[in-house]
Amino acid sequence: MGGAAISSHGLACAPPAAVPLNPRARRASAAGHRSSPQLLLRSDLPPPAVLCRARSQSSSSSNVNFGRGDDADKLLEDLLKQHGEVVYSSGASPAAEADDDAECLSFAVSLAKAASEIKAADIRVLCVKRLVYWTRFFIILTAFSNAQIDAISSKMRDIGEKQFSKVASGDTKPNSWTLLDFGDVVVHIFLPQQRAFYNLEEFYGNATPIELPFDTQWQ
Amino acid sequence: MIQPQTLLNVADNSGARKLMCIRVIGAAGNQRYARIGDVIVAVIKDAVPQMPLERSEVIRAVIVRTCKEFKCEDGIIIRYDDNAAVIIDQKGNPKGTRVFGAIAEELRELNFTKIVSLAPEVL
Repeated sequence: MGGAAISSHGLACAPPAAVPLNPRARRASAAGHRSSPQLLLRSDLPPPAVLCRARSQSSSSSNVNFGRGDDADKLLEDLLKQHGEVVYSSGASPAAEADDDAECLSFAVSLAKAASEIKAADIRVLCVKRLVYWTRFFIILTAFSNAQIDAISSKMRDIGEKQFSKVASGDTKPNSWTLLDFGDVVVHIFLPQQRAFYNLEEFYGNATPIELPFDTQWQ
Repeated sequence: MIQPQTLLNVADNSGARKLMCIRVIGAAGNQRYARIGDVIVAVIKDAVPQMPLERSEVIRAVIVRTCKEFKCEDGIIIRYDDNAAVIIDQKGNPKGTRVFGAIAEELRELNFTKIVSLAPEVL
């Protein structure tokens, strides 16, 4: 049995307990998101402390010197107090994660601003970090012609490469649904018909909308 | 391991129910079998009535689930219960508006991020 059998019907049929591994957490760590591993670390924290105490007790019993054992316990507790924080901070600290999010957010907002300068309509920036693990922000916007889509995508690629050193994958030619994948930020550029057809905002309705510092054209 | 004559389920709401692979394309060289992320040419064997796609229509599709184990780069091996594909057009846009079931994240690296963004669960 090499593989983890996963029911094809996904959410409806597969009970979480039937899946022997937690692919979401593992993939999240592979994808570079720091929230899940950190949570894992924190949940794993109590066992090391328990282990330390167990060892100290066994050492004291082997020495048959209870006074020394107490000293060792105290010493270990002191050490735990002093260096226990190291266990917490071995992953990314919450502040670093917030900084990471802030950088992505500023990138997303600057992309949205660039799109609004080229007169894209109905620009939405959604924080989908809590819904999907593979990205953090969605930018959904409407353009009205292939030339406009081309202009928006080339400007976004320029901004990504020059200011934030992020290279986009995805569509290179203008398409009715052009997608730019910057890793943590995914940009969807639709023609009006396609936007109504796919209706991504409804699909990601639980995502947190982000207020933009400029006026978007509503049509 | 999808090859010509393989029957696949359809994992989207485009209106088709069953596909039969008739050609594996997009794979480098003269590859015999298609796996997750490969594009195939398929014929619709069964379709929902009153929908734009009809039986015996020839379409392109991306394979999203296979019964054959799929080994990811990080060592995880994924095996699904069925063979399933998502119907796309010539430009790579999905014909349906929603994708059903679990989808592997490798599709994103193969430039099918549109399908990934329509999926309810990504492994």
